[in-house]
Amino acid sequence: MEGKTIIEMQGIIKAFYIGTPNQLEILHGINLSVKEGEFVSIVGASGSGKSTLMNIIGVLDRPTAGNYILDGIQISSVGDKKLSEIRNKKIGFVFQNFNLISRTSAIKNIELPMLYAGIPKQKRTKRAKELLELVEMSDRASHMPNELSGGQKQRVAIARAMANDPAIILADEPTGALDSYTGRLVMDIFHRLNKEQGKTIVLITHNNELAAETDRIITMKDGMTYENPATKREAGQ
Amino acid sequence: MNIGENILLAFASLKSNKMRALLTMLGIIIGISSVIMITTLGNALQGSVTSTFEDFGTNLIELYIAYKDDSTSRPVDEKDLISDEMIDALKEQYGENILSISTSLDVGKGKIKVGRNDVKLSISGTNEGFCESNAIEVSEGRFITEKDIKGGKNVIVIADKAVSKLFPKGTDPIGQELKIKTDSGTLAMTVVGVYKSKVSKMMSAMMMSDSETTNAYIPISTAQRFMDSDNGYKFFDFKAAKGLDYKKFAEEAASFMNEKFYKDNPYFQVKFYCFEQQLDSFMQILSIVKLVITIIAGISLLVGGIGVMNIMLVSVTERTREIGVRKALGATNGAIRMQFIVESIIICLIGGVIGILLGLLLGNIGALIIGSPAAPSISGIITAVTFSLAIGVFFGYYPANKAAKLDPIEALRYE
Ligand SMILES: Nc1ncnc2c1ncn2[C@@H]1O[C@H](COP(=O)(O)OP(=O)(O)O)[C@@H](O)[C@H]1O
Ligand SMILES: [Mg+2]
Repeated sequence: MEGKTIIEMQGIIKAFYIGTPNQLEILHGINLSVKEGEFVSIVGASGSGKSTLMNIIGVLDRPTAGNYILDGIQISSVGDKKLSEIRNKKIGFVFQNFNLISRTSAIKNIELPMLYAGIPKQKRTKRAKELLELVEMSDRASHMPNELSGGQKQRVAIARAMANDPAIILADEPTGALDSYTGRLVMDIFHRLNKEQGKTIVLITHNNELAAETDRIITMKDGMTYENPATKREAGQ
Repeated sequence: MNIGENILLAFASLKSNKMRALLTMLGIIIGISSVIMITTLGNALQGSVTSTFEDFGTNLIELYIAYKDDSTSRPVDEKDLISDEMIDALKEQYGENILSISTSLDVGKGKIKVGRNDVKLSISGTNEGFCESNAIEVSEGRFITEKDIKGGKNVIVIADKAVSKLFPKGTDPIGQELKIKTDSGTLAMTVVGVYKSKVSKMMSAMMMSDSETTNAYIPISTAQRFMDSDNGYKFFDFKAAKGLDYKKFAEEAASFMNEKFYKDNPYFQVKFYCFEQQLDSFMQILSIVKLVITIIAGISLLVGGIGVMNIMLVSVTERTREIGVRKALGATNGAIRMQFIVESIIICLIGGVIGILLGLLLGNIGALIIGSPAAPSISGIITAVTFSLAIGVFFGYYPANKAAKLDPIEALRYE
């Protein structure tokens, strides 16, 4: 796959301070590079640091050390306000547990990122309706999250992630809470977004079959990434 | 994220927890409503009292005899009383500065039988100056004149209210004869004048007089003769010329009387009572009462504000995960802060509005009870709204800031 590199990480370290002098290093110097339009999956055991890495990719969190360039922006030199804007415009998050805002209708949930982007009401509603159509949820626009099934919630969450037409979609075990049938539906949506709209997608999954469908599989083990698990320790230290 | 969206969000959040919102508002409601009530009531009271005093005139001064020393209790003798000569001397001394002098003598209650009912009168002997000093408005006939007094005539001036009870409709009251039964005997009087009764409800409430009884006036000489009383007065009223320092003038008049007539009297002296001073001290009391209530209201607003802060902190904790999600979707710290401050302001403003309405309601009921028109203070309402807004901002800021500063990762992981 040709194209420019959109995610570029070198020597990313993440450590948590759990009370001095204890310091818990979770990521031990990750090198990762993802090209625009790539569909990458990250697999690995629970606790291996997948979510931690994902949060750094999505600029929800800052690395303790290392260099991260996102779409040409040196993240370490960017302030918090700018990070909010990057999350708003360039990133779309999809979570395992959906994280829809409760007591807020499906369409209002989808409008939320546009609200923070300062997009006027009419445009917001129009775009939200388009997105509902994209995930085949038009008939549930005014439903509250607690009136939706898991698969329906996740489709709304994907539509919300797409609201500001971000370059990257980050999905942390999006099918983890779904049965295999609805998981399949959700996976199909990701494929469509990748093929038809050229979205760069980073997907964390425990399902090896789903991972196999993606362009590239990155395996995480104890805070390190390994590419191409078939040939084992080729990357890494 | 604009303000309008934040307001909608705040209402949605409050709607999901109505009871809690209401309880939170209670302190604000109590604080604001008591301020509004007391200003409404205070203004009503002030207006009513001021107009009552203005009827009489703040230039009304009363001179009366009193014991020099409280421990003596010798009964009043005729030579202790203020005589007409003394009053004339005072008039001579101050001339133009004294507008009208009124003397009076209480005769007591009188009853007139009309059919099966009694019409009750409260009778006073008065002079011609009484009419002006007490702001009596004669609507028919005339008031007591000097001639009536000189001749000791059996004439009476009654209230219009009494006329309608005494005579059939359409009867000309002037010239009618009245037989009045009193404790000291029966009076036979000819009606020579009718005055407009206008004692305010508040005054009658304060004096606890029953509104059935009206005042009636007869010549003071007639009253003295009828009562078999001494020649002289325990007190008399006069009006000072406009523009004088009434209190100082009253003091001066009293000391003139004391110097001239009471120096050698071992028991009695002349003291004064100045209406203006009375009005001043009433206003002072009123403003102290207002201040105290305002302080109490301020304390309850403070407590209310702390309640709002508390509930906002709870709300922030409850919605930690939501805050994390919002941040992941691109909300800035400022947007989160604004969301919670707006919510806090909305709580306080709703509380404020309910408080204003409740305060106006209570104030109006109170005004109705005192019987003077309610006077809601616009500035009080504006202050109340501004104050609730300020409380919302002040006590909402800390929780909102706490929400804004939440780490998005930790917020998202929050169970
Ligand atoms: N805030 C934190 N403080 C301390 N340890 C953390 C924190 N967040 C994550 N960890 C630890 O980091 C490790 C990796 O977590 P995570 O990235 O969630 O793993 P995965 O998503 O692969 O299951 C885990 O051992 C977890 O306990
Ligand atoms: Mg995880």
